[in-house]
Amino acid sequence: MIKISNLTKTYGDKKALDNLSLEIKEGSVFGLLGVNGAGKTTLLSILNGLVTMNSGEVEIFGLSLKTQKKDIKSISSIIPQHLAFYENLSVKENLDFFAEIQKASKEDYEKAVGVNSLGELMGQKASTLSGGQKRRLNIAIGLLNNPKVIYFDEPTVGVDPKSRNEILDSIKNYKKLGITVVYTSHYMNEIEKICDEVAIISEGKLVEQDTLENLLSNRVSNNVSVEVIYSDKLVSLGLRLMDETTIETTQEELSATLKTLDTNDIAVKQVRYGSTNLEKHFLDITGQNDA
Amino acid sequence: MLSAMIKKELLLVLRDKHALLALFVMPAIFIVIMSVAMRDQFSTKNIEFTLFIKDADKTELTKAIIKDVEVDRNFELLKSEKDAEFVIQFPKDYKKDSHIKVEISVQDSIKSDKIEAFKAMLSEHLLRARFDLMAEKFKAFSPQASKSLKELEVSADSLFKVNYNGLKTIPNSTQQSVPAWIVFGMFFIIIPMSTIYINERKQNTLSRLTSMNVSIFAMTFTKSVPYLIINQIQVWIMIGVGVFLVPLFDATPALAINGSFGAVVLISTALSIAAIGISTLIAVTASSSEQATTIGGIFNILLGAIGGVMVPKFIMPESMQTIAEYSPMGWGLDGFLEIFLKSADASMVVGDAAKLIAFGLSLLIISMVLLQVRINRGL
Repeated sequence: MIKISNLTKTYGDKKALDNLSLEIKEGSVFGLLGVNGAGKTTLLSILNGLVTMNSGEVEIFGLSLKTQKKDIKSISSIIPQHLAFYENLSVKENLDFFAEIQKASKEDYEKAVGVNSLGELMGQKASTLSGGQKRRLNIAIGLLNNPKVIYFDEPTVGVDPKSRNEILDSIKNYKKLGITVVYTSHYMNEIEKICDEVAIISEGKLVEQDTLENLLSNRVSNNVSVEVIYSDKLVSLGLRLMDETTIETTQEELSATLKTLDTNDIAVKQVRYGSTNLEKHFLDITGQNDA
Repeated sequence: MLSAMIKKELLLVLRDKHALLALFVMPAIFIVIMSVAMRDQFSTKNIEFTLFIKDADKTELTKAIIKDVEVDRNFELLKSEKDAEFVIQFPKDYKKDSHIKVEISVQDSIKSDKIEAFKAMLSEHLLRARFDLMAEKFKAFSPQASKSLKELEVSADSLFKVNYNGLKTIPNSTQQSVPAWIVFGMFFIIIPMSTIYINERKQNTLSRLTSMNVSIFAMTFTKSVPYLIINQIQVWIMIGVGVFLVPLFDATPALAINGSFGAVVLISTALSIAAIGISTLIAVTASSSEQATTIGGIFNILLGAIGGVMVPKFIMPESMQTIAEYSPMGWGLDGFLEIFLKSADASMVVGDAAKLIAFGLSLLIISMVLLQVRINRGL
């Protein structure tokens, strides 16, 4: 478990985190929501030992961040928003370098390559990879030390829909491997798809923390969201798309929507009734809807 | 871990074609060009003056002078005055009256230092011919006096011993150019080193490495080692250019390494540490690679100008020479000149090396502190 108590971090006069407390369960996929400047990246940087806190307590799997930072770094990994590898090196040279730095085992190395489907790209120079392939390499580097917890800082920025879904699916797999995932994203539907629990922070303070289920079912709504397997045909069907793989409809229109999908051989993954979506809830909670 | 980081840094710099051009090709070209171009400026021999002689006296004295000048390889006697830099005229009665001056007409483009050099060289022939004439006259009544006059040395080399700032040997153009451009070229690591460093900082690779328990010291150390190696390769390539390549161009003198190889390694390693210190400080403080390249370039040129790379220190005015004492490039250049000209061993350059190492290490320590502050602030 990750336990954060009364965490405060200031940059000059500005409070990036203000007495923040929250708990993240082991093995969960935890979503961290907040507008730009809410303190998400600062929180991840502190949890990963990159930035020092001003006050508060952080305990990660029983290790104190104040006294056991080195041990915490060895069991955790951050996947930064920006591509943090060497463009002039090949995929293999990048992985070899970061593996040697972290003394990664051969098994962990192969797992990181396999999970991210980089096997056929090993000889390719990193600068020549596609956006999605670069993101996968960025993630693979973070898996080399076989971490117990991975922090994803908006890992799908600038990624095409197909690659984004591949990345999200791979993150779901980490849960199966028992890895705790802390995930921040601007795309709320991503959080909806992969997270078990969500914390909303605003101006460095915790506004709400709950399971995704509770956050979404607390709202009475006629809305129905239908999640499907990605298909190129989707955009031409005249449906209301919330994103590349989620359709927004109503309970009255659901039957017709499902029929249309079936006719076009588009597989349905999930149907969520009577819910609001996370974006609406987030805007309500943070007061952004007032504007 | 250290070997992986050193290997990574080497791979990155070796794949940067522009950096390789700046580090290896540019200084080599400079050495060849400057050695050939400056050859005559550093030599009292082989200065060639084109001249035309008008002889209104037509005596045995003036004929003897003309005969001497004809065989002197410093003079090229022309048949017409049109292209001559100097036109000299022996007035009538020049032999008879020793107070009559030789008249010299000079082209407008000739600088005063060349005129003085011409006068000094021509004086040797005028005096020699006068003494020979006197010796002939004395021969009949004082053979001993005649012999003494004949043997009297009047060349500038026999009258003066020139010491260049106490150096044992006068540097030739190659001996001046090779160390100067080695020093200048070594400091060009500022550009690739700071660019790679800033890219790592900007792309979060540095913070990723920090998150992997890589210390600031390990980062700085492993970034320094490849450039120490690169600088050594540079030094020996440039020395090779001076020894083997430069003499192929227009009989320019070859570089002679009179001192010990150990001294070369010591002074060049010390220079490397100084250059790495500056590069790291620029990399840590600059906000973009463009800014680092600009600052690095300006720094390089200023240090080079102050330190005697652009203009040899021994021809600078005293005030500038004092300023040069505070330039790391000047310390490095002094060390190399000691080795090439005064046959210095490592013990003789240890003072210059110590100053360079102290300078470089100080900047590295400041850089590490600044980088730590930056990382704490999230870069």
